[in-house]
Amino acid sequence: MININYRDRRPIFEQVKDGFRNLIISGVLKEGERMPSVRDLASQLAINPNTIQRAYRELEIDGYICTVPGKGSFVSQRDEAAEKRRAELRAKMSEIAREFRHAGLGEEELISLIRKEYDHDSD
Amino acid sequence: MIVTKKLCKSFDGFLALNGLDVNVPKGAVYGLVGPNGAGKSTLIRHLAGIYIPDSGEVLIDGHPVYENVETKSRIAYIPDDIFYYTQATVADMKDFCKGLYKSFDEERFEKLGEVFGMDLKRPVRKLSKGMQKQAAFRIAVSCRPDVILLDEPVDGLDPVMRRNVWSIIMADVAENGTTVLVSSHNLRELEDVCDHVGIMDKGSMLIERSLDELQNNIVKLQLVLRDGTELPEGLEILGRSSTGKLEQLIVRGKAEDVEEQIAQVSPVYCESIPLNLEEIFIYELGGTGYEVRNIIV
Repeated sequence: MININYRDRRPIFEQVKDGFRNLIISGVLKEGERMPSVRDLASQLAINPNTIQRAYRELEIDGYICTVPGKGSFVSQRDEAAEKRRAELRAKMSEIAREFRHAGLGEEELISLIRKEYDHDSD
Repeated sequence: MIVTKKLCKSFDGFLALNGLDVNVPKGAVYGLVGPNGAGKSTLIRHLAGIYIPDSGEVLIDGHPVYENVETKSRIAYIPDDIFYYTQATVADMKDFCKGLYKSFDEERFEKLGEVFGMDLKRPVRKLSKGMQKQAAFRIAVSCRPDVILLDEPVDGLDPVMRRNVWSIIMADVAENGTTVLVSSHNLRELEDVCDHVGIMDKGSMLIERSLDELQNNIVKLQLVLRDGTELPEGLEILGRSSTGKLEQLIVRGKAEDVEEQIAQVSPVYCESIPLNLEEIFIYELGGTGYEVRNIIV
């Protein structure tokens, strides 16, 4: 479900966190669905359970999942989490646009790149 | 859970452990690293109750280990050179351990056969090095220990088996809060499984921290300074090299704090990159005079 990439510079807990966030936002993990248990995931990925616990804790703080004591973690209602993520993406996009401008690249080029991504999706 | 206080041990006048302090919390996976001859195996043999300390204390869950059957029956130890009786088969060694460990779980041993497939009737002596390790693992985790001591555990195991082994141990840690102390030179692998790291050098502990703290305490920076400006004062620089205008710095401190300090001189470009355990190991030991040298022979 989640892949750990050893060439990735991000710490493992961040990879786990980002992996789940993407699965939740893209709808692969649906609202109310049960998250894999820490034990199963630790065993499956052969990584430290505390690392997974930490990723889960941060996902919970960010509103992606909620924990029911004794029952496990579940994907929470998506609206709030998705909205938060959208805001993050907007900020990221602005940053890229700024960098684009600093690099002396034209507005048209950026727009055409974006258009290509969107067309790609409608194919 | 595992504590040593001012542990000293010498062999024929050679001081192998010099006032070593170790502290492993319960349920931690503790990676023990250090250069060859730092005393890692010597420490582990003390923890397993094989050596008598010259001075200092070795405590597991508050009890001294040496000649303490009660405490030792909660510890599983896989040494780097595995012990077996000359004619013993895998089944014999299993029965031997079953007699020593009250918590031995026969059912688990059977089930583990799915992962560690081996002929139980073959003498251990006739198995390959990797198969001997597998047999040791199968028996050790079947003892359902509270503490697992591993000395270079995955040395000689193939990639699939390494993963299987870690997978089983990680599940035990998550479920039963098993405490694990592992010595290894494979830092890439330790980074996945450990949450605490101790770096030993010359018989004492150089640094002992949680992996998080360790990684948050040192940072690599790539930067280009504006002409005529210097680096701000007060940075603790562990390493510095440059290629043309681009400088590479290894600085002690949190990434955010260091970046903030650097921002005062408004560099043309500055990026911080987290260090992996291998790099941390090299730079931390570099300060003690043990470093990677450019050797041309």
